Amino acid sequence: MPPPDDLVARAQAGDQTAFRELYREHAGRVYALCLRLTGDGRDAEERTQDVFVRLWDKLSSFRGESAFSSWLHRLAVNVVLNERRTTGRRERRVMPAEDPDNVAGAQHAAPLHGSGLSIDLERAIADLPDGAREVFVLYDIEGYGHGEIAQLVGIAEGTSKAQLFRARRLLREKLER
Amino acid sequence: MNEHELQDAVNRLPKSIEPPRDLWPEIQARLGTRAGSPSWQRRWYWVPLAAAAVLVFLLIARAERSAWDVTALAGRPLIGTKRLAASGRLHVGDWLQTDDSSRALIAVGRIGQVEVRPDSRVQLVVARTTEHRLALARGTIDAKVDAVPRLFFVETPAGTAIDLGCAYTLETDSLGKGLLHVTAGEVEFQTGSRSSRVPLGTLMQIRPATGPGIPYVDDAPAPFVRAVVAFDLEQRGTRARATRSVLALARAQDAISLWHLLQRVDVPLRGMVYDRLAALVPPPAGVTRRATIALESRALEGYWTKIQRIHFRMMVLRGVREIDPRTGVAKP
Repeated sequence: MPPPDDLVARAQAGDQTAFRELYREHAGRVYALCLRLTGDGRDAEERTQDVFVRLWDKLSSFRGESAFSSWLHRLAVNVVLNERRTTGRRERRVMPAEDPDNVAGAQHAAPLHGSGLSIDLERAIADLPDGAREVFVLYDIEGYGHGEIAQLVGIAEGTSKAQLFRARRLLREKLER
Repeated sequence: MNEHELQDAVNRLPKSIEPPRDLWPEIQARLGTRAGSPSWQRRWYWVPLAAAAVLVFLLIARAERSAWDVTALAGRPLIGTKRLAASGRLHVGDWLQTDDSSRALIAVGRIGQVEVRPDSRVQLVVARTTEHRLALARGTIDAKVDAVPRLFFVETPAGTAIDLGCAYTLETDSLGKGLLHVTAGEVEFQTGSRSSRVPLGTLMQIRPATGPGIPYVDDAPAPFVRAVVAFDLEQRGTRARATRSVLALARAQDAISLWHLLQRVDVPLRGMVYDRLAALVPPPAGVTRRATIALESRALEGYWTKIQRIHFRMMVLRGVREIDPRTGVAKP
């Protein structure tokens, strides 16, 4: 397999075979991020596709100032959050998010991976309210800071902290049941 | 589980999860429809060509913006005086007409579609990105729209259906007598200053003189529906008996009907309607009897929000969970 930098350079030159290799290499990481941010398997598949289509468009702007995987990761976060911003209002009209018994948890289309506690945790994360889930995934799993999350999600830093606190509390409660 | 154990569990989560199926073929197909590869974007000589292409596209788009695509689903519908073969364009001002054996599908710009059933007559009135407007002179349409509220309107002889992001069936005769059945989201139907809100899973009769009637849930018992329709037909001043019939037959599931009834009855009857509604679905905190009877918009909106939320939950979870129609909470 050619070195990653070579793959990126070839894909930047329009080589779809190299781009397919990049997809093979990074699809798992991107899909995991999309799955956890959306909490829904079907949405995660669609967002993963969106990320790679967007990557094809944006590839020429990658200058190698950071690791390609970090750059792609940031792109993926933006794609998922942008999509949610544009569709969020519509979904909230149909299924108010604050409903105590929202059926979102019943919507997983993809199998959950891992075993034992991991499966429970993945499921509990998927069941979190949207805002709390996004902050939890970005902070606790992906390692972003509250300042970055506030910018990415479009919320105040304090809100990010509050959402993280709420997410952790909800998760602990769920996992103790 | 404490904070530390949770963090440990999070740290053990896999960083990578393979998609359950190969997504590459769909990605490749989407790349194939795009106008170029990254390398093209970096070559300067594409700039003037791209600018010219954009200009041509804008000119074509401008010319085409005032028309929507139409597909014949059955038979040979008419656009104006011409028979539609397989597909065509409906321009602003054009009439589309189906006979008893033809049907057509109209693409509503980029936000949805309308199926025109047999024996219907529809005109394209406005085709802008900020306003999509049809006139249904008679017949039946099935509309599906996926957009922010108030982008799609259908005028009928008795009033206008305003899309709030939804799917619905609307039928009318040439005088304006008709029926609206909403199957997703919500529709507002307006005649002058009078309007009704019709959420998914509800129907509403439309009358030529009075416009929107009182919506009722699609599984409401027949006696209740008859009482509601009888109220719609009564003249102002003689509605007391019809009002009492509606109230006597109402269940908590019919709160949507009572919320509308409250605003349609004569002033002396409002207290009676409020009391029945409050007994079936208690008002939310901050909504008082006095403010609701005075039809203060804040009180009405607050009450509506609660009723609508319970209703959506009942509809979405119909057949899955049993929901308490008074509170919206799932029964154990």
